[in-house]
Amino acid sequence: MTKTLTITPSRCLACRTCELACSFKHAVDGRPGISRIRAFMFGEGRNQVLTCFQCDEAACVKVCPVEALSRNESTGAIEVNTARCIGCGLCSIACPFGHMSHDRASGVAVKCDLCGGEPVCAAFCPTRTLEYG
Amino acid sequence: MRIKSVKTLESTAKKARGQRSRINTEVLVCAGTGCLANGSLAVAESLRRTIRRRKLDAKLKLKLKTTGCHGFCEQGPLVVIQPKGVFYKGVKPQDTKEIVDRTLVKGEVIERLLYRDPNTKKRVRTYAEIPFYSKQLRIALRNIGKIDPGSIDDYIAAGGYAGLAKALTEMTPGKVIDAVTKSGLRGRGGGGFVTGRKWKTCRNADAETRYVLCNADEGDPGAFMDRSICEGDPHAVIEGMVIGAWAVGASQGYIYVREEYPLAVKHLRLAIEQARERGFLGDDILGSGFSYDVGIARGGGAFVCGESSALMKSVAGEVGEPRAKYIHSVIRGLHDKPTVLNNVETWANVPWIITKGADKFAALGTKRSTGTKAFSLVGKVKNTGLVEVPMGITLREIIFDIGGGIIGDRPFKGVQTGGPSGGCLPEAQLDLPVDFDSLTAAGSMMGSGGMIVMDDRTCMVDVARYFLRFLVDESCGKCVPCREGVHQLHQILEAICAGEGEPGDLEKVESLSETIVKASLCALGKSAPNPVLSTLRYFRQEYQEHINDRKCSAGVCRNLFTFRISEEKCNGCGACVRACPVDCITGELKSLHSIDAGKCTRCGACRNVCRFDAIEVV
Amino acid sequence: MTAEKTVNLQINGRFLQAREGMTILEVARREGIPILSLCHHDALEPVGACRLCLVEITHPDWKGWKGLVTACLYPVEEGLCVTTDNEDVRNTRRTVLDLLLARCPQSAVIQELAAEHGVTATSYRKSEVETTCILCGLCVRVCAVKGCSAIGTAGRGIRKAISIPFKQPPPDCIGCASCAHICPTGTIKYRDEGDIRKIWGHSFKMVKCESCGRPIMPEKQLEFEANKSGLHPDYFKVCPACAQQQTVQTIRSSFDMRTVQSGDSAQLAG
Repeated sequence: MTKTLTITPSRCLACRTCELACSFKHAVDGRPGISRIRAFMFGEGRNQVLTCFQCDEAACVKVCPVEALSRNESTGAIEVNTARCIGCGLCSIACPFGHMSHDRASGVAVKCDLCGGEPVCAAFCPTRTLEYG
Repeated sequence: MRIKSVKTLESTAKKARGQRSRINTEVLVCAGTGCLANGSLAVAESLRRTIRRRKLDAKLKLKLKTTGCHGFCEQGPLVVIQPKGVFYKGVKPQDTKEIVDRTLVKGEVIERLLYRDPNTKKRVRTYAEIPFYSKQLRIALRNIGKIDPGSIDDYIAAGGYAGLAKALTEMTPGKVIDAVTKSGLRGRGGGGFVTGRKWKTCRNADAETRYVLCNADEGDPGAFMDRSICEGDPHAVIEGMVIGAWAVGASQGYIYVREEYPLAVKHLRLAIEQARERGFLGDDILGSGFSYDVGIARGGGAFVCGESSALMKSVAGEVGEPRAKYIHSVIRGLHDKPTVLNNVETWANVPWIITKGADKFAALGTKRSTGTKAFSLVGKVKNTGLVEVPMGITLREIIFDIGGGIIGDRPFKGVQTGGPSGGCLPEAQLDLPVDFDSLTAAGSMMGSGGMIVMDDRTCMVDVARYFLRFLVDESCGKCVPCREGVHQLHQILEAICAGEGEPGDLEKVESLSETIVKASLCALGKSAPNPVLSTLRYFRQEYQEHINDRKCSAGVCRNLFTFRISEEKCNGCGACVRACPVDCITGELKSLHSIDAGKCTRCGACRNVCRFDAIEVV
Repeated sequence: MTAEKTVNLQINGRFLQAREGMTILEVARREGIPILSLCHHDALEPVGACRLCLVEITHPDWKGWKGLVTACLYPVEEGLCVTTDNEDVRNTRRTVLDLLLARCPQSAVIQELAAEHGVTATSYRKSEVETTCILCGLCVRVCAVKGCSAIGTAGRGIRKAISIPFKQPPPDCIGCASCAHICPTGTIKYRDEGDIRKIWGHSFKMVKCESCGRPIMPEKQLEFEANKSGLHPDYFKVCPACAQQQTVQTIRSSFDMRTVQSGDSAQLAG
């Protein structure tokens, strides 16, 4: 039974620790700009956290011309094969939710991959807004 | 009508031979491309008309045939009259009436049309006595010059398709492969790979479909062996391919012919039609249940398409670029299926091997290079033409005994074998046996059979430059070492020939050549440095003279010499004055002439006509 | 179906295992062993054109024979011994870069790569043609994989060049600029001016984001991608930033309809 990342936005403080944790995990220099999770502040109790829904019928997978996006069967996350990615950006345009980004520095697509099974956002979230289990 | 069984084939052959035996005289007019260019078709037409008008075909039981290349291209148009073997050379349409009157009707020989041996100065009456032919042994070229390539009956009468019959009805595919392996036949296209082993690997490859192809691209400048076989005996190639297809289990194949051989394409097409009509191609060949058919694929004017993987891409309709052959074409070739690709001459040998037996073939030639090889002997040699000799014969025998030596009896300087992939060998190597391994060890290679003879008026640096220029034009451009490296080598040699060579150039050439050999993707690139490396090995002083002294002693590289008329040798005949295109030679009749070096373009026309060797290079 | 076979091989003295059918380059990349390449991309079939990935191979059964092969294409086999960095390999690599520098003296990428291998100035004659194109073919290959095959090569040998049919704006080009993005030397250029994309002589009108009005992609490309992927064209009409904003707003409005205390959460299934 694969684990799921559960988001309870009512607990979210929009402290952005998840963004920091994510960006440090994925880039040595910790650029928050390429965090794969995003917090939105609207006021206490009304904040939101967004990250990839790992759709069953993902638009990104359908649109990729080189099959660089595929599902990791053990985590259930859709992952980017960065060596295959040609940086065309179609996935980031096609994603209806805006969860896919394009990293200008490396030229490849960037998305939440649930950190391969141990999502750091959930590990660092101080309010259990993000839970993995 | 279809020949549906071996029995029918045998009776057809018997009938054809019977018909032939009722002919008393055969008049064979060479219609190979060389003689055609010399006007042999008009000769044939004229003979045909005269014979027909006088009804001599019935009266004398005469048959006139146009055949493929006799080989002695220098002497064309050629007419051979059998069974006497009378050999007429340089025949013109105006000679034909006399030939009919005197030779055909009266049995007389016309002296002036006979070949005159330049060394004995005597006229030679028959084919067999001409030194050009006496040392040859024609197996791949066995039928050429004897049969009408447009007549399948001629081919059958000569024993054609008997090899196929034997293979299909008396031998299993495995036995055919064994025979070809045992014969020691190695690829005649230049690669020299053991043919039987290639077939075996293809047969063992796991696949439902296999292809059997023929490489008739013949891109080496100066080579015309394959052209002559396709023009003069196309059925030999087809028969070989069907035998090969039976051996490896293929049902489809192609003959890839270069676009520049229209006559070969024409004759092959006709032969394929005839073979299909008679049932040697198509379904249930000779009632064996085996089916194979062949089509023609034409090249588009690229030397690189002679390379096996590029050829297969071209056949498939793609751009002819080679691929790395870490997985060989016998495993994944045309359309990714196991494919056997062999050269025209290789295929032409196969029926002979099957009918006469592997041992007979293996008994010829040398231990590791069995059989014979066809060569196109060209350049500064007296007897230019197509020859076939047993492997192991020396270069000296080919060039001097068969070739008759150097034109004008000038000093021999070098012989280039193997085309742009081969190398030049000097006088010291003339006693090398011609076979796959000896020539390679000496820095050249046998290649597909092109043999270019050079005299002292050939500049070896210029020769290397010529071949590099050719390869620059023909490189497909895919990989860096060949595309950029061969271009750079050519640039360096252009500079050397222009008098702009610099110290360090030779070392640069050698080190760059080493990389090109190691790093190129295909054989074109890997062998591209051979001409320059072999000329450096044997003629290094000539390069040094070009670079250090800015001098070309052979009198070829125009910036690096001037012509001067020798006081001792000039007898004032004035031949040079008449030959000079820029009127730079002056002198009175019977006295010393002189060249105005300022006007002279150093074209060499004067040197070519001077019979006294009075034009010197300084 | 035959089972996948595993082979044992050595790279630089390290004993490794790999699946039969993998190339030397695939195994090396898996192990973090660096092998230089310019014409290789994982999304495209390897061609072995640049020759920079040449490595030396030998095998105990080969009687001492060794040779250079392109790692991107050579399939691993049982007992293979690979050396990615000895003098011969280094010299060959250096010469290839030297030759590339002669061809593309203006290319910063080549200058840098060559300098890293000890070549600061080319030993050969500089090319008369001013180009930064190294003819790696990546642009042509990616265009084919996309399904357009709008560009190709013309000419042979030293005159070979990336080309468009009859030197006219290629009819099959959709303006996706994948060719420009994949080009290792930045030779292929395109320009987005307002809502027009200029590439290969074309001026493509771009689709604009329905929300913010920023140009997203050429209309022709949208049609192509919708067709090819089976996704409705609407998928391509909102830019990622706006899509994210819209998503946030949608979730917000749906949450506002429920009470906060019930602690409703969204389950993001894996």
